[in-house]
Parts: sequence; structure tokens; C-alpha cells
Amino acid sequence: MQDFLQAYSWINMRFLLTGLWVTIEVSVISIIFSFIIGSILGVIRYMKVKYLSAIVGFIIDMIRNLPLLLIIFFTYFALPRIGVHFNVTVSTIVAMTIFESAMLAEIVRSGIKAVPKGQLEGALSNGLNFYQALWHILLPQAYKKMIPPIVSQFVSLIKDTSLATIIMLPEVTFRAQTIYAQKPMEIIPMFLMLAILYFILNFTISQIGSYIDRRMVS
Amino acid sequence: MSMIEFKDVEKYYGDFHALHDINLEVEAGETVVLLGPSGSGKSTLIRTVNGLESIEGGQLIVNNQDLADPKTDLNRLRKDVGMVFQHFNLYENKTILENIMLAPRLVLHRDEDENKKIAMGLLDRVGLADQANKYPAQLSGGQQQRIAIARSLAMKPKALLFDEPTSALDPEMVNGVLKIMREIAQDSSMTMLVVTHEMGFAKQVADRVIFMADGKILEDSPTAEFFENPKEPRARHFLSQIVH
Repeated sequence: MQDFLQAYSWINMRFLLTGLWVTIEVSVISIIFSFIIGSILGVIRYMKVKYLSAIVGFIIDMIRNLPLLLIIFFTYFALPRIGVHFNVTVSTIVAMTIFESAMLAEIVRSGIKAVPKGQLEGALSNGLNFYQALWHILLPQAYKKMIPPIVSQFVSLIKDTSLATIIMLPEVTFRAQTIYAQKPMEIIPMFLMLAILYFILNFTISQIGSYIDRRMVS
Repeated sequence: MSMIEFKDVEKYYGDFHALHDINLEVEAGETVVLLGPSGSGKSTLIRTVNGLESIEGGQLIVNNQDLADPKTDLNRLRKDVGMVFQHFNLYENKTILENIMLAPRLVLHRDEDENKKIAMGLLDRVGLADQANKYPAQLSGGQQQRIAIARSLAMKPKALLFDEPTSALDPEMVNGVLKIMREIAQDSSMTMLVVTHEMGFAKQVADRVIFMADGKILEDSPTAEFFENPKEPRARHFLSQIVH
């Protein structure tokens, strides 16, 4: 019991929480970028622009079918070979953004497709052009429907940042490993603390999602 | 001057021949009702008029613009040709007032105060001024359809297309919508093309009746003549099936 509690010493906790901050930082930046890029790619794929949509579709399908770990290896180990050097944090953000953009693009595309066809026809017949209809009618309705899948995608993103332990990103999981590597007695308390921290983080994200969902309904 | 002119128009869905050698002229200010059994191509025909459906052959001139020409700007055409749908298609994410004000603001760049004044005037005209700040889902079908008509009128169109505007409504809601349509038809400058099963409305309001079956126009007659003495056996059969 003594050992158990000792694992949560002030020094250990500060070390862990600094890592949690890295996790949050990497996640938030990746979420922002992948939301923007994913939305643009999703719209392009939905629009069926000659050639462009097919190319975008191919790239999205390819990325979606790769393990995220491979993309992280790619940005960290392969890109330097062709002269592009990123530090660990940037490598992780770039990899997460590439992977999550592809995931979000599919959510966005199917979200727009799920808006009843009459909404677009109504807007076009009313004199709006396609882009006006997209911006004012289709996307607002689509995003509202997409809140639950987008939130669960963001939750996966946050959990997946732990994969970056493998390129030694000093995020929360990596730091927990660092602690118990020195004191194997602390493995269980560290895992427990990790579980609590991830839970708090992701539960907060889901609650924010539900809050936005409720706000948009009323 | 003709507002809508079909010349030998053909339309296919894959192998299915949806419109067969359509020839039809609708003069500016005229009210024309399209009748026919379901699957006869009435809705397809009316949807070609504002370019929601493309045509594969022939010529279709609407408001002096050639719809068979891929260079025709459909958006410009649709400013002048409004459409009212069976399922209303109001913007679900906008209030009633915003539904009416959106297109005039974005497309006609109408001054905001004037836009609101016109929109409120139209809401008053369809008897729903007190619903301005609700959302479409909070209104009944009949109310939504009256809003949809107001939304089309806000663009001050030259022609209005009605695609079975009362077919999805509860019976007690139908008259309110027909009453507004009758009032619009009385405006001599408005061209109206109406697909409907409301025979009373057709008899009372239409200048001409077009009878369609199997993607073809079988009869094109003045209203009184069509109802009293239909030339086509299929039209006679169709009328005999309808209790009105």
C-alpha cells in the first residue's frame, strides 16, 4: 500500500501531468488541422469534380486503410530521408493530421449525403448556387448530424496519440512508462493513473460534444 | 410571348424513356395544369423546366434561355422560375423568416430592411405572420407548404412550378394551400405550371389542361373542353376513375 501511494508522489505526478499537457497539445492541434482539411476533402469528394474527386477519393481510401503507426514511422523516419526533418512533436502532429483528415473526410462526405436531397433542390430552385446551398443549407445540417461520429473520432485521436511513445514523444503514456521502467512496483498504480487521466480527458470531450449537440437542436 | 416552350423533348433514365417527344408551349401569364396517372412523367416534365432534370433531346426554351445548351446559366434561370415541391423542402436549419429572406439576400442582394418588409408582407399574405421565428419542423404540412410558396414569391419570379403541392398534405390542410395558389393564378403576369390531382382546382383555375401518360402528352385542351369532352380514351378513363 505504501508503495502504491508512493507512486503518486508530487514529482511523479508533475512528470505525468507535463506529459498529459503534451498529449493535449498534440491532440488539439491535430484536431483543428484535421477538421479543416477533412472538411475540405470531404466536400471535394462529395462534389464529384471530374478527376479531382476521384484522386482525393483514392488517397482517402489508401490512408484509411493504413495503420496509423505506419504513418507515424513515415513522417518520423522516412521523410528525413528525402530531406524533410520534423521534430518528434511535429512528426506526430503531421501523421495524426494526415490520418484523421482522411477519417473525417469520410464522415463529412457521408454527413452531407445524409441531408435529404430536397434541401439541395429547394435551395437551387430558390436561386441559390451550389456553393451557397452547400454553405448555408447542406453543411450546417450535415455537421449537426455528424457531431456524434466526429466526437468519437476525436476521442480515438486522443487515445491514438499514445502510439507516438514509439518515436519517444514525451506524452503521458511515454512518461508513465519512464516512471515504471525505473520502479517496476509502480506499474499498476501508473496504469491506473493513466486510465484515469485518459478517461477524464476523453469524457470531457464527449461531454462538450453532447453539449454542442443539445445547443444545436434547440 | 411564350414563357416555356418544349420542342421534341426526349428524356431517358438509363433505358427508361421518361419523356417522349414532348411539344408544349406555355404563354406568359397562363396557368396550365398537368394531369395523368402516376408514372406518366408529369413530375419529370415539370422538373426539366428549371433544370433539376436534364433533357437528352430536342429543345427547351424557358424565359428565353435554352436549357439544352450546357452554357446556359441555370442559376440565372432559377431566379425567375420558382418551384414548390410535394415535400415543401423548407430549409430545416433556418427559421421561417430566414427561409424567405435567404435567397433574396444572397441572390438578389436585396436591402435588409426591404427584404424583411417583403418577407413579413408575404407571411401576412399566407396567414402565418405569427410563425416567423419558428422552425419548419414546428409547423404542420399545410403551413410549411404555404411558407414554401411565400419563399418562392419572395424572389418575384415570372413563373412558378408546382409539383404536386397538396399530395403530401392532410385533407383539411389542402384548401388553405389551394386558396393561395388560386390568388397567385389571378395575377395575370404570373405563369403557372401545376402538377396536381385536385380536379376542382384544375377546373376552376387552369386555362389549359395537359393530359400525360407513359411519358407522352396525349391531350392538350382548354380546361372546359377537357373536362366536358375529353378526346383521348385514356383521358376519359382517367377522369372516370376520379370521384370529384
